[in-house]
Amino acid sequence: MVPWIDARRAEAAERFRALGLPHRRIENWKYTDLKSALAGANDSEPGAIAWSISPVPSAIELFDLADLADAPGWVQAHLGKAAMAEAMPAASLALARTGFALRVPKGVAVAEILRVAFSGTGHGRALIVLEEGASLTLVESRVAERGFSNIGIEIVVGPNAHFTHIRSADAAPDAIQVEDVAIRVARDASYRAHLMNGGASLSRLNLRMTLKEPGANAKLSGVSVLGGKLHADVTTEIYHASGETQSTQLFKHVAGGQSHVVYQGKITVAEGADKSDSRQTAKALLLGERAEADLKPELEIFADDVKCAHGAAVGDLDADSLFYLRARGIPEGEARNVLIRAFLEEAVTEIADDGIREAVWASVENALSKAIAL
Amino acid sequence: MLEIKDLHVAVGGKEILKGLTLSIAAGKVHAIMGPNGSGKSTLSYVLAGRAGYEIMQGSIRYNGEDLNTLPPEERAAKGVFLAMQYPVEIPGVTTLNFLKTALNAQHRARGEKELDAMSVLKFVRKKAAALKISEEMLKRALNVGFSGGEKKRLEILQMALFEPKLAILDETDSGLDIDALKLVAEGVNALRAPDRAMLVITHYQRLLNFIVPDRIHVLAGGRIVAEGGKELAHELEAKGYEHIAGKAA
Repeated sequence: MVPWIDARRAEAAERFRALGLPHRRIENWKYTDLKSALAGANDSEPGAIAWSISPVPSAIELFDLADLADAPGWVQAHLGKAAMAEAMPAASLALARTGFALRVPKGVAVAEILRVAFSGTGHGRALIVLEEGASLTLVESRVAERGFSNIGIEIVVGPNAHFTHIRSADAAPDAIQVEDVAIRVARDASYRAHLMNGGASLSRLNLRMTLKEPGANAKLSGVSVLGGKLHADVTTEIYHASGETQSTQLFKHVAGGQSHVVYQGKITVAEGADKSDSRQTAKALLLGERAEADLKPELEIFADDVKCAHGAAVGDLDADSLFYLRARGIPEGEARNVLIRAFLEEAVTEIADDGIREAVWASVENALSKAIAL
Repeated sequence: MLEIKDLHVAVGGKEILKGLTLSIAAGKVHAIMGPNGSGKSTLSYVLAGRAGYEIMQGSIRYNGEDLNTLPPEERAAKGVFLAMQYPVEIPGVTTLNFLKTALNAQHRARGEKELDAMSVLKFVRKKAAALKISEEMLKRALNVGFSGGEKKRLEILQMALFEPKLAILDETDSGLDIDALKLVAEGVNALRAPDRAMLVITHYQRLLNFIVPDRIHVLAGGRIVAEGGKELAHELEAKGYEHIAGKAA
């Protein structure tokens, strides 16, 4: 019995029961029917998500969520606070018994890149707290396995703190992967993310963010590279709660075969959140005649003095560019490869760290070799 | 080197070239002049092998070979080069990388040795200097943010690097001021060679003051309506296309 977590889990379970498994008649799950996918998956063993992490520098506090009876104050303060709005994070809060929590104390800038890998099936949770002035880069990977997994991550970026989040998920044709990332960004703090998605039988990444105070900013970029019958859905919701907040998003998707790529980006600018600035761009390249892309940018603005720009485009490779390259002696297949990489380049270039960027490119290449072959 | 006989070409079901006959020998520079809509660009695209340009009748032979059966990349490897009127911008591909990929693709197709990055850089630098193409320009994405003059200079740089046997220059003068035009023309003239033929396509006589052709053909309504030496350009400039085309008809 751990009263504080028992109460939160009970509330989350109640919430999940009320909302039920998301399906396509729920507006923001229109293109990703989790309920049907799970009904067809005939997956009886719940399992437990396992996680592993690279050596943690001594300045960082790491806590195993399996030991919640001894949870320190900061875990109690934050764990599960952002889980109740949606069904799937409510489910992971109610059901997960594994996961980790990380705290980067005030003023600590972590030079080492932390790497965390999730594997297995079932539910898992993670909590990452950056205190005032702290900074951290985390590379998260998902091991491609058969079965259903649902991970809920909460990220709290304190005042003037800076968090860089790289997520790389290789193609997992037999997996149903759901992940919900809830982020709060405080005054003059930043959250940067790059999301490389190789797709799954069904893959949904939900990114819900609140830019709480002036100076809070977010920069998201990502690529999805899909072939075969793979599916990948990246859904972002950014809430500009305060004025003088910024968000930019750049997503590039390549869909071959009969794959299905989804991007939904909802931006809400709260009343009075003047001088906030939000931009989002999503583009998809359809390389298979039966591939499908659904891009849905959405803006809700309740403030007067804001800058918002959004654009979405779905297309094939540019015929003029293809002819130009071929007329210079580059064979058609190679010319197509050049143009596909050029299309993705803009989003991958957003990764500042050379080593991480090269690793992400390697994942992209790997996914492309499969997506184009299929 | 190039022999075009009674060429009829349709684009989207509409006949644009209507029986064009033209031949160019190695070492010669020919010019095609014509008003807008006469079929100049169609001719350049059909020579380079662009999809959607359908040969209804007639033939194009290049060094005795039927060009129509070859995809664009094979034509390039065999020495056909088209300097385009509107070079495309490709974000995400640096100019230097593009040049290396293209050079090596041509080398590979011809069974020649591929060049490593350093050799390409040296080769490109040597040729780029004459065209006032800076190192910085080569590092930028292909044609992205280039001025009209820079784009055309890059086309001529490619011509210098690929060393084609048949170079077609499609409206290379369009959008250039006089200084840029001179620079480009000097680049082209430097590439005149006994084993290389050139076809300069232009609307205006101006370019031909700098690249003086051996022969001029006037294209109107999809066929050659007048031919002559370099003096024909001045006659066209003075009297206009309608006069020449009308006289021929």
